[in-house]
Amino acid sequence: MRLRVRFSKTGKIRFIGHRDVARVAERAVRRVGLPVAYSEGFSPRMRMSFGLALPTGYESDGEYVELPLIDGAMLEANARDGVGSDVAAAGPAIVCRSGTHVPCGDEPDLDAPSYCTLAAALSEALPVGMEVSCAVLTDGSGQSLQAAVRTCGWRFDIVGLAEAAATKAVADLLAAGTVVTERVHKGETVSSDVRPSVELLQVVGSSNRGAELSAVLSATPRVVRPSELVPALAPEHDMGIARRTHQWTCGAAGRAEPAVPSRCAQRQKETLSG
Amino acid sequence: MQRPRVDSNLTSWLLAYPDTYEIGLPNQGLQILYELLNERPDATAERAYAPWIDLEAEMRAHRLPLFSVDTHRAAGEFDVIAFNLSAELVFTNVLNCIDLAGVPVRSAQRSDADPLIGAGGHCAFNPEPLADFVDFFVVGDGEEVVGEITDVVGAWKRSGKRAGTREGLLRDLAGIEGTYVPSMYEVSYDGAQLVEVTPRYPDVPPLVAKRTVADLADWPYPRRQLVPVTEVVHDRLSVEVFRGCTRGCRFCQAGMITRPVRERPAAQVREMVSAGLERSGYDEVSLMSLSTADYSGIAELVRDTVTAGAGGGAATDPSRISVSLPSLRVDAFTVDVAAQVSRARRTGLTFAPEAGSWRLRQIINKLITEEDLYSAVRSAYSQGWHRMKLYFLTGLPSEMDPDTEAIAHLAQSCARIGQEYTKRASVTVSLGGFVPKPHTPFQWFGQNPPDELARKVRLVRSALGRNRRVQLKWHDPAASTAEGIASRGDRRVGAAIEYVWRKGGTFQEWSERFDLTLWEEAMAACGLDLDWYVHRHRGEHEMLPWDHIGAGLHRDFLWQDWQDALAGHGLPDCRWTPCYDCGACTEYGIEHIVASPVAPNGGSQGTGQDLATGHVVPVELRPRQLAGAGAPAGGGA
Ligand code: SF4
Repeated sequence: MRLRVRFSKTGKIRFIGHRDVARVAERAVRRVGLPVAYSEGFSPRMRMSFGLALPTGYESDGEYVELPLIDGAMLEANARDGVGSDVAAAGPAIVCRSGTHVPCGDEPDLDAPSYCTLAAALSEALPVGMEVSCAVLTDGSGQSLQAAVRTCGWRFDIVGLAEAAATKAVADLLAAGTVVTERVHKGETVSSDVRPSVELLQVVGSSNRGAELSAVLSATPRVVRPSELVPALAPEHDMGIARRTHQWTCGAAGRAEPAVPSRCAQRQKETLSG
Repeated sequence: MQRPRVDSNLTSWLLAYPDTYEIGLPNQGLQILYELLNERPDATAERAYAPWIDLEAEMRAHRLPLFSVDTHRAAGEFDVIAFNLSAELVFTNVLNCIDLAGVPVRSAQRSDADPLIGAGGHCAFNPEPLADFVDFFVVGDGEEVVGEITDVVGAWKRSGKRAGTREGLLRDLAGIEGTYVPSMYEVSYDGAQLVEVTPRYPDVPPLVAKRTVADLADWPYPRRQLVPVTEVVHDRLSVEVFRGCTRGCRFCQAGMITRPVRERPAAQVREMVSAGLERSGYDEVSLMSLSTADYSGIAELVRDTVTAGAGGGAATDPSRISVSLPSLRVDAFTVDVAAQVSRARRTGLTFAPEAGSWRLRQIINKLITEEDLYSAVRSAYSQGWHRMKLYFLTGLPSEMDPDTEAIAHLAQSCARIGQEYTKRASVTVSLGGFVPKPHTPFQWFGQNPPDELARKVRLVRSALGRNRRVQLKWHDPAASTAEGIASRGDRRVGAAIEYVWRKGGTFQEWSERFDLTLWEEAMAACGLDLDWYVHRHRGEHEMLPWDHIGAGLHRDFLWQDWQDALAGHGLPDCRWTPCYDCGACTEYGIEHIVASPVAPNGGSQGTGQDLATGHVVPVELRPRQLAGAGAPAGGGA
């Protein structure tokens, strides 16, 4: 079984890189005493897999990490001794060093039981700016998140750009057949047409820096970043802060998220820290 | 997370590490003071690190001052900016940080409103090169004195820091034991020679004696080690298991100035390890000291540490916690210890034989035999290690070419032993140029010039031949020269340090930034003779620039030990044998705190060697010659 954890990365912590996020997450897991499996071999490492890498400096509301739990970490409802008997049907309990967590009764989901107290405990163990919005148990079958994610949702603002000008720029970009922009890849400047990657682009208002936009950009064959659109939208302006809002997968039922924030995780966190 | 309070009524300290965040963050001394100060109701402490050159350029371009990493407060707003001095080559960074803080670099130019500039750490035992830039130094352990300084500075702050009162404050600070205020002393020279350092007021002590905390058990700090979100060196939990070392290695300043040995009680170590691991989420802990294998009951301690995380839920698996033991003595590293350490993920192993031949190891009092080394190496390979690092010094007193070449012999033998266990066995030899340090028996020794050090490196390299199993790494001999200037320099050297800084010579610890020609140019420009400062043997009666700073060691003990060194006489370790009155305990009314009455592996130094057997010493270093070597060779300010 795997625990799928969704977390945010906002504020100053957005400046730490992907490797640092991995180390920070590893320490949080150990602080909570979550029974995550390790690799075999001479120098065992905690096994964890992340969703699509987030560019350093970007914020996010939708980062994921999947943690394979070791055998014996879960207690089935009937094996439990008086623990969470009221939600006995909702799924197994997860035994951590810091305590035992049972599925949340607020939003019962037998396929993916959600552990709000565990989410709150992980938030407590993470640095300021990284909050866990949900932790759900999956059977671990199926594609890895990296392969499954098709598109990403973004919010970003453009410094000093008026809303009206942004609206026009967006309309122009969407009307264009091709939008060739440049980016630096492995030390070389490469140009490519990003128009096919833009599934959705609209102006949603203004931040204190300038026009604010939302976008859905494809993640395959590569992740297209909002910063690649800015030179096409407003060549004289810089991008302000960008935030990933979603990572979307595609299933039979259409677009879906690997896990949605649980309403009660936030409440639980407040109780814990209060 | 620790959030220092911002409140202008609190006496505020900015604890600054004059190197990058990656290097400075793990520093334990700084973290201990950070916690102690923030625990006080009347004080607050934040931290700053030296910005790398790219950030510095941006800061200067945007007129941004040095600021704290905690709350981004400007350095100039603090009451005290205190630097940790762990190496001499950071001195130019200290000046740069003071300047970036918007404070005049020379103490004499500061006004009452400017922050006080303080400094502590091992390099404060010869404060003179920085005497013109630093308002006060703390000599020795900082745990107690930092509070006493806060009291004095706090009273001054509450009185409004009125104009013209800074001098009085500095005089008050000079009255605190272990606090050295250079501006309270007059220094006089006769030509190049230093002749006197005299207090300017009767209440200023002529000798500033170091501070020593008697019992580490009273100071279980840091309790809440800082856990960085970005990668730093030593990214692990650190627990200091003892302070001080009396093995008596004669080149080792740390061992001389931190006496006596004060072990932390094993129960407290265990508590700090398990609480620290749980709090931080680290899976690695370093048991810190100058020679951790000497800790009483080290094997049991390591065993318990490896299992520290155990006893809880399914998450805890003993093999997940790794232990790193810095500075291992080979005569105390037994199969037992090796086996305990190897139960966890194995980290690198470093042994420090320091010299290639037994003859030279007797001179430096590193009394380990070749067999000690081989059996330690055997223990390690047999427990699954396949790589180790051997640390050596070259340019030691009386070192002759066969001593230097013996380094290669030792390394090759170790690699050969490794081959018996694994085909992958390899050895890295790390070779450093010896820089004589104040308050050691070798403080009178003339350092080898860089070309001589370079020749010795080549000697080792050619003696190693084409051995793929042995890798040689060496420290830049030119950097050792610059270190030598700052290490045993007097007050006049400060001008050269300022010159190097003004010419952009920051981050001199970094090989890509280091430039000896800048230092040579600086010495010449200031009318100082580099040879005289660095390469000259000192005589018994020469006044040394740090003679008014007390490390607890009697000067005649150090001189006698220097003479014993040249005669090839060893000295036992006084923690397990009778006291020979070096002064460190006797002058302070304290003593060793050591749980075990015997050395870890038997014998007074762990070897049972006959310590009094003398050896051939080259003629040019006989004491007779030394006596005549004290005459100044020109130069001076
Ligand atoms: S005073 Fe005696 S016991 Fe203490 S460190 Fe010196 S020699 Fe050892």
